[in-house]
Amino acid sequence: MNVFDDIQFYLFNHHHYIDEPPDSDRYDSTWVSYPNGNFDAEVAHELYQRWTREMLLAEELGFDAIAINEHHQTIYSMQPATSVRAGYLAALTKRVKILVAGVPINLSWPSRVAEEYAMLDVMSGGRMEYGFPLGTGMEYWSNAGQINPTTARARFRENLGVILKTWTEDGPVRHDGEFYNYRYLNVWPRPLQKPYPKIYIVGSGSQETVDVATDFRAGYSIVFTPIEQQLKAMANFREAAEGKGWTVQPDDTIFTVICYVADTDDEAVREARPHIEKFFSWMHRVPNQFLSPPGYVSRSEFLRRAQSAALSDGTRATWDDMVSIGRIICGSPDTVADTLSHWAEEAQCSRMLMVLQHGDMPEWKAVKNMHMFAKEVIPRVRARATSGAAATALAGVK
Amino acid sequence: MAGYTEERFNLRGIETVVQIAGEGDPLVFFHGAGTVTGFDALLPLAERFRLIVPFHPGFGPSADDTTVDDIHDYRRHYLDLLDELGIEDFALTGHSMGGWLAANFAADHAERVRRLVLAAPWGMRVEEHPTVDFFAVPGEELPGYLTADMSIFGPHVPMPPTPEFLADRYRETTSAARLMWARPYDLKLHRWLHRLTMPTLIIWGEADTLIPAEQAPVWADLVPGAEVRTLPGVGHLMFDESREAVDAVGSFVGEGLTV
Repeated sequence: MNVFDDIQFYLFNHHHYIDEPPDSDRYDSTWVSYPNGNFDAEVAHELYQRWTREMLLAEELGFDAIAINEHHQTIYSMQPATSVRAGYLAALTKRVKILVAGVPINLSWPSRVAEEYAMLDVMSGGRMEYGFPLGTGMEYWSNAGQINPTTARARFRENLGVILKTWTEDGPVRHDGEFYNYRYLNVWPRPLQKPYPKIYIVGSGSQETVDVATDFRAGYSIVFTPIEQQLKAMANFREAAEGKGWTVQPDDTIFTVICYVADTDDEAVREARPHIEKFFSWMHRVPNQFLSPPGYVSRSEFLRRAQSAALSDGTRATWDDMVSIGRIICGSPDTVADTLSHWAEEAQCSRMLMVLQHGDMPEWKAVKNMHMFAKEVIPRVRARATSGAAATALAGVK
Repeated sequence: MAGYTEERFNLRGIETVVQIAGEGDPLVFFHGAGTVTGFDALLPLAERFRLIVPFHPGFGPSADDTTVDDIHDYRRHYLDLLDELGIEDFALTGHSMGGWLAANFAADHAERVRRLVLAAPWGMRVEEHPTVDFFAVPGEELPGYLTADMSIFGPHVPMPPTPEFLADRYRETTSAARLMWARPYDLKLHRWLHRLTMPTLIIWGEADTLIPAEQAPVWADLVPGAEVRTLPGVGHLMFDESREAVDAVGSFVGEGLTV
């Protein structure tokens, strides 16, 4: 059994709001404080239709899963209530798994999260997977001051504990916590998948998130961190899990990959680069103040971030900065398949979260990219399988 | 003018640094939500009093303690410090966030506070003249809210600010956020100010753009017999900006104390 025997491809879509005003330079943020007078519901309606088409195409093209997430008060994402979106997509799909990565559990009551996401699992026939992030710093500016960012990490741990407790222990049970007190913790419905759907902790490689993931025997998913730090974090995650008596499997980690496939490497970069740059410079335009609300990170993590241009200032990041913080791969099918295979092997990771629509990319490019990826890249990567379903399928083709 | 000597106390696990200068009756000073300009501007007070300036938990050289997240944790922390210092009654001055703390301390321990100075205190909810929510002010704009005289930052702020400097500010803002994140006022404050029965001076810079001086009369209405003094042209960091502010504290406190 090798890492390719059960390699799976998730199509992720940010659900951007794409409608950049002509005077966009005057805005220093497209999160939290970007004026919502710029929101046009007609434009958004068309975009929801488009993102639905792309998610459904993923099922048709043979992706293993579709993936969505939650953000607030931003053009970056039109999914402030991602469970609503997940319910809609679950009703329109039949086969694909649906990964909600993430569900910012700190922003709701943990019992409410446990109920909503159990409900989705039951309705979808057990097709759900969940990523739990701390929530970006920006989310903490969008919640009436009720969730103090200085408590984010402690609260995250307690919330996760409550969710898993109510999913696994028969209720009613009592919970006397630091943040929540339940006299009757007893959610209804409970998940269809037992003991509960696959979960991942979404982190940026900090020791705190690695500790949470290993303590709760959850998977681990890394976003927006320089590649060498991603590898270090993966190694750290593996080692910490061993120390706590369990072994990380290839499906316990997820890579997020920003990808574009075309006939040649040159064509891929030419077609994708302006849109990926737009993603960083416009969709991800966030001042430091919003990225790091007080206490959201430690003093030393604050220092580390202040020293990375791409992390602290998307607007001024260069193409090289972007490539260094993201797993960005634009190229021919061979280039992309080789790179993904290399990353999968290097990190012993069998779950690839593919971002194939970038910034203001027009629909035709995103759709072409999805077709190229499904028809040219997936088979090339799967060809490396030695056993299991992928190898059997391959042998059948041969 | 002599400088401070620094004393360290371990208060129930919190390493607490206290700057002390001068001889005489004790005058305790509670600082605000940042310590960037230091407290040398207060040293003239040490010519008449034993000036005691503790760094709050999570500020300057004092240690962090994430469980100190409530105004009464601060109040009790300072009861511990006063025990260590062997101080029974004293004069108290608090600036900004420290003014809020001083008001709370004095309301709960009126018998120990002989004279009280509230300098541009934080915490009053005044709808027509609201306190700026300083968490929402971008770092680069904050100095403009803190002072009417930018030169006060000269010796204290590297230009451009270094990542280390910014990380230190982030740490102190984090410590303040533990207490003050939920809202830029204390909903209960007005309810208990009648307990400030000691002679009280409310002092404010008229050019304060962070906590407007228009809040001073609201405090004065609630604190029995409070005296109000405003300083024309002076901003929020009044003691750095104005020797007159320092002297006003000295003469108000000195009136009631033997020197």
